[in-house]
Amino acid sequence: MTSGLGATMVRAGRRLLSSLPALFGVLVFTFLLMRVLPGDPAVFFASGPNAGKEEIEQIRKQMGLDKSVPEQLVFYLSDIGHGNLGRSMMTGQPVLKDLRERLPASLELTFTALLIALIAAVPLGVIAALRPGSIIDHGVRLFCALGVCVPTFVSGLLLIYVFYYLLGLAPDPTGRIDVFTSLPPQRTGFLSIDFLLAGDVEGWWAACRQLILPAVSMALFVIAPLARITRASMLVSLGSDFVRTARSVGLSWRKVVVTYALRNAILPVITIAGIVFSTMLGANVLVEKVFSWPGVASYALDALLSSDYAPVQGFVLLMASLFVLVNLVVDICYGIADPRVSIE
Amino acid sequence: MRFVSFRLASSVLATTALLLIAAAPSQAQTRAETLRYVTGASVNTLDPNIPGSTRESFALSMSTYDRLVAFGRKQLNGKWVFDLDTITGELAESYDVSPDGLKITFRLRKDAKFQDGSPVTAEDVKWSLDRCVTAPILGKAQLLTGSLTSADQFKVIDPLTIEVTLPKPDKLALPNLATVYPMIINSKVAKEHATADDPWATAWLKEHTAGSGAYAVESFKPGEQVILKRDESWNRGSANKPAFFKRIIVQSVPEPATRANLVERGDADLVLDLQASDVQSLEAKGKLKVISTPQYNAVTFVSMNNQIPPFDNVNVRRAIASALPYDDMFKAALFGRGAPLFGATWADGKPANGIYPFQQPLKLDLDKAREYLKAAGLPEGFSTTFSFNVGQASTAEPMAALVKESLGKIGIKVDIQKLPDAQMSTQINEKKLPFFTEGIVAWLPSTDYFYRNFYTGSQRWNYSSINNPDLAAIAQEARFEPDKAKYEEAGRKLNAMHFDLMPQVMLWQPNQDAVMAPSIEGYTYEFHRQVDYRDVSRK
Repeated sequence: MTSGLGATMVRAGRRLLSSLPALFGVLVFTFLLMRVLPGDPAVFFASGPNAGKEEIEQIRKQMGLDKSVPEQLVFYLSDIGHGNLGRSMMTGQPVLKDLRERLPASLELTFTALLIALIAAVPLGVIAALRPGSIIDHGVRLFCALGVCVPTFVSGLLLIYVFYYLLGLAPDPTGRIDVFTSLPPQRTGFLSIDFLLAGDVEGWWAACRQLILPAVSMALFVIAPLARITRASMLVSLGSDFVRTARSVGLSWRKVVVTYALRNAILPVITIAGIVFSTMLGANVLVEKVFSWPGVASYALDALLSSDYAPVQGFVLLMASLFVLVNLVVDICYGIADPRVSIE
Repeated sequence: MRFVSFRLASSVLATTALLLIAAAPSQAQTRAETLRYVTGASVNTLDPNIPGSTRESFALSMSTYDRLVAFGRKQLNGKWVFDLDTITGELAESYDVSPDGLKITFRLRKDAKFQDGSPVTAEDVKWSLDRCVTAPILGKAQLLTGSLTSADQFKVIDPLTIEVTLPKPDKLALPNLATVYPMIINSKVAKEHATADDPWATAWLKEHTAGSGAYAVESFKPGEQVILKRDESWNRGSANKPAFFKRIIVQSVPEPATRANLVERGDADLVLDLQASDVQSLEAKGKLKVISTPQYNAVTFVSMNNQIPPFDNVNVRRAIASALPYDDMFKAALFGRGAPLFGATWADGKPANGIYPFQQPLKLDLDKAREYLKAAGLPEGFSTTFSFNVGQASTAEPMAALVKESLGKIGIKVDIQKLPDAQMSTQINEKKLPFFTEGIVAWLPSTDYFYRNFYTGSQRWNYSSINNPDLAAIAQEARFEPDKAKYEEAGRKLNAMHFDLMPQVMLWQPNQDAVMAPSIEGYTYEFHRQVDYRDVSRK
């Protein structure tokens, strides 16, 4: 077991190292991309009723845009090397601080949504696979199709309309917590965990209530790929030799389906879950907008619209790093789900 | 068993009820004394002087800092709006303008204190005004419009008196001191955080406040929310009382539909910047108070670049002005919520007064438009682009479609261009857009100010790039014209020239729609187009 874990760690380290050139590429590419986009951010930010040429020049200098592009790139890379992602013109804060404050909000939302999606999708996929072609199978298919064809902002607005506006069951859809609730001391940045650590059950419940609607509207969108992949790989798994053998030796139905078939079918689900997670993190911008969720995606969109270079670059770098990390976690999960993967 | 569970349930119910009764009054109290204000944009700096600061930051600074003077308020068609012509003391107990108009002397209130408890002195005022005209901040360009350009102009006479000298009697000097930027900062505190590179503590003041305003900042999350708490010792409110609300929560909610839901459900007290359709339906339901004020210091227009052919031909511009479907545009873009600047009737063919903006005798008349096109030598029409920025899409998009359709009827082929905000402002700055829609606002809406800033020079705000020496000369002269009748005459002349030259077509003044709980009172339309939290109270 120790040697297995050790091997996994070595593999993980090697994977991490090999992804550095890719990260560097992303860094340079985003930098150049932002510079070729039309629109001068200095002009945009000098938009006060009296901002003239002088103010524009001043902002340009402040943003480092008065230098040539290669020079800017060198400064930018050296800043990154020192852990400085620059300053956002929009919020007036260092980008690193903004991202650090906002990332937990996005992660908490995405994790919750993924969890809801998995809890719903895996059983749905399994049920569909056990009775292929039946009414249940078609029902699952219909549900998945509905989930994936309704855009997240539509389902979000619908959920708000029904549960907040009409029924009054959900709290007001603004941010992570009711404005009148005092926040717990920050430990993880995940409110649902921080409230528990602080022993504040009421606050925890408030945070969870706030989380449900946005998480569900995101989950609805990704249930389809997860359920479909579960169904497909369960079908393969159920039709394979070892399941037939397990059945023939008279093992219980439960043991056959859960321990043998599902365990073997779960690998592709983990892969897809990893990909789904990474895309959700960046793509939940609409959900974040609709629910005024103070996450990184809506932050990046605002920055992009106003050509605020530093936050966009910081966001892309963050996403690239997270993608590398998620891939790594998926690899490790593979090792746990199927020990053969660890042996190279 | 059933009996036990019933007893259990009833005791739980009773306890809950008791708890609720016990908790209700105290909770209701705090809620009643809190104003929850939701807005689309966000506060991005605590010092409005920082380039890039938002309107929300302006409003915030009005409550966290005091200025020497403030605008009064007046009723306009039954609604409260700020009054440019009444300047009252804020930190100044009184002020005197010397007979030649070159000296303004301010006497400070003896009881005014900063939020750290130290008294407000003339030294602080001087430091703050010096900062405004010296530091590389937004205040510099603003105060320039009131002939305030150098630190030498501010002189401390004694700890409670400060004197401002002007090179010329400028009627915008005093109003300028009531705008957002020249706020009075606690100079001792600020100096402690100044550095050699940053002698005016701009970096520190961006994230901290050191003012004497009605509210102190309790928590500040850029892009999310700001919570303010009342300064109990502040007494510059009505009847020398502190501000009404104990706490103010300023929260960013980007989705306008959600903002409408929040105020309708009673979770938010006050909302601005809703979609016109939402305001209309909320108004129809009649449960909320809706105060719609035409933004009398703002104008939305269709602009033409007077230097780019064919718009350099006055007849082409007149043709466009005759071919715009005004009524349809007004309905489609704003649901008629605003003050139209078209459709006037000028009996003698002359502007009724010298106030800008003014209503022009424009209406859709395609035959007239065709005549103008013929006069311009373009009877077959031409092709052009019509641009607007994404940020204004909800009003500009339906408008653009109508412009395209109507101009198509006289042979002008219009290609609609929807540009990201930064790209639009860049192109405007470089004077590259031939035909587009934009909006302008002036904090100090006097006729000469509008004409000087928006119709002369090569700066970005001269959207139409008009270059008319006569117009520029009259506007410059009017600035220092002390005689009211002569000033009015100059304004009349400028307005007549505007209609004749038609550099751009003024369309309307959109409404500022403030939707609020019925219990909220005192809302006033302010020059910065945001809520001044000190104005409002709860019944």
